[in-house]
Amino acid sequence: MFSKGINYKVPRNLLFIFEMIALFLMFMYYKNSLDRSTIIYGLSLIFIVYISNFLLLKITTGDNYIFLIVTMLSSIGIIMIYRINPQQGFKQIVWIGLGIVLFFATYFMIKKIKSLKSWFIYYFFASIALFGMTLLLGERFKGAINWISIGGITFQPTEVIKILTIFLIASYYANYDKFKEKKWGNYYLVGIMYLFIFFLFLQRDLGSVLIFSSLFLALQYIYHEDRKLVLLNFAVLILSSILGYIIFPHVRIRFEIWINPWEHIDTTGYQITQSLFAIAEGGFFGTGLGLGHPDFIPEVSKDFIFSAICEEMGILTGIGIIMLFLILVYRGFKISINQKNKFFRIVALGISILFGIQSFIIFGGVVKMIPLTGITIPFVSYGGSSMLSSFIALGILQVASEELDIEEV
Amino acid sequence: MFNILSIVFKYIFIIIIYLFIFSIIRLIYLDIKGISPITLNDSTYLKLINRKETLPFKVKEYYPLGEEVFLGRGNDNEIVIKDPYISKKHLRIVKDEGNYFLQDLNSANGTYLNGQRLMDVVKLKNGDRISVGQIEFLFVNNE
Repeated sequence: MFSKGINYKVPRNLLFIFEMIALFLMFMYYKNSLDRSTIIYGLSLIFIVYISNFLLLKITTGDNYIFLIVTMLSSIGIIMIYRINPQQGFKQIVWIGLGIVLFFATYFMIKKIKSLKSWFIYYFFASIALFGMTLLLGERFKGAINWISIGGITFQPTEVIKILTIFLIASYYANYDKFKEKKWGNYYLVGIMYLFIFFLFLQRDLGSVLIFSSLFLALQYIYHEDRKLVLLNFAVLILSSILGYIIFPHVRIRFEIWINPWEHIDTTGYQITQSLFAIAEGGFFGTGLGLGHPDFIPEVSKDFIFSAICEEMGILTGIGIIMLFLILVYRGFKISINQKNKFFRIVALGISILFGIQSFIIFGGVVKMIPLTGITIPFVSYGGSSMLSSFIALGILQVASEELDIEEV
Repeated sequence: MFNILSIVFKYIFIIIIYLFIFSIIRLIYLDIKGISPITLNDSTYLKLINRKETLPFKVKEYYPLGEEVFLGRGNDNEIVIKDPYISKKHLRIVKDEGNYFLQDLNSANGTYLNGQRLMDVVKLKNGDRISVGQIEFLFVNNE
């Protein structure tokens, strides 16, 4: 066809212009300390993004929006990270490049593998192994043990476990009829999920506890036939969060900061108040890149990147990011609805819920709408594990958006 | 110097981001618009073979066929497709004694049935592929 994808050019070119302007501005900002490799890396990333968007249109018969949206999100993220800290920005460029490579690798691999849905037991043991590794080899970093380093490479196992968990839940519900016949088969998944959440509590990784439990509850709510069990789980979750508040002092601190951060402005509430100042400082259009002071916020390139973006690029950009996530999650749901294969339908739903919940928790956290738990914004925040695992999840979503020739058993 | 640039560019950034979001929403809108809720279990219809998102104009996934249906670019047709390669009145599908017949109305770029350029009136059978302009339809007859 002559004009295949004629109108996909518009967003692709807009993205290209956006990146070029941003790159130019960043080099003006850092013109005294420029080094050549950064320019080459930056330009090649822009090139890779453009080519990938172009190629994807040819390769895939599925959705073409999600990758566009995601590359826009990571472009906004990288500009901000580079402006805050050029070293981190440089690393982030490499991470995004690797992420795109992994995206395509996952896409082709998942398409080849036909028996994903029957590997329930492997997903379980792999997750347990990763949890065990985290607890044994993990390093405590700001109260939570969620980093391990093997041979100089540090990574967050929870990021991998997220994807494994989605596969686990999907393979459980795709084979639900088989599991139901077994004794206690109805409770397998519930037991496993409580075990996972218990592990995360041991790591004191509250953000992940929240992500895992809401992901599990959402999917269970949709697919589980025993409605009483779903209600019971809700009740248990509410009870355990109250218990957590009473038992763990760091949960209580989070909650108190959320109610009134101004009382603790010089200690525990410093981060959130600085974030609020930053957002307020920016106004609708922001101070302009390089003209604000996002570096006043601790952890700004990870959890608080959203506040930094709001300060320097304006709350309108912030709203733009939220809208992009909204479209991404909407596309995810649409993909899930259109998918005929039950396993991939649940996987697509799980991944969209994961993106949605993760972004909601952190956006809500930094604007003090819900208690703050430190997690990363997928595709935007600085961080290798988070970026790579998000791109892998996106690759799986891309596969799920196509009509698959895997026969339904 | 940098300050001025930065202040100018912040507006440009916001404009680009919103244009980007708008263009994606528009693409998705074109995508949704074509979904018709009618069920087509036991009727005769044309089914679009192309992927709708790749076409730069509005087109539906399904077009149910009645006694006499015209397809073309003009607004007075039963099936209106704003494809520049389609003529104002391009083709006609007419039902006669339970059979459907396809006729090209002297269109500029022609109509193709299963890859062959249509010269005369042809009887349609289930599974025929009809190509007009940039798009291709599948003829489905469940009667």
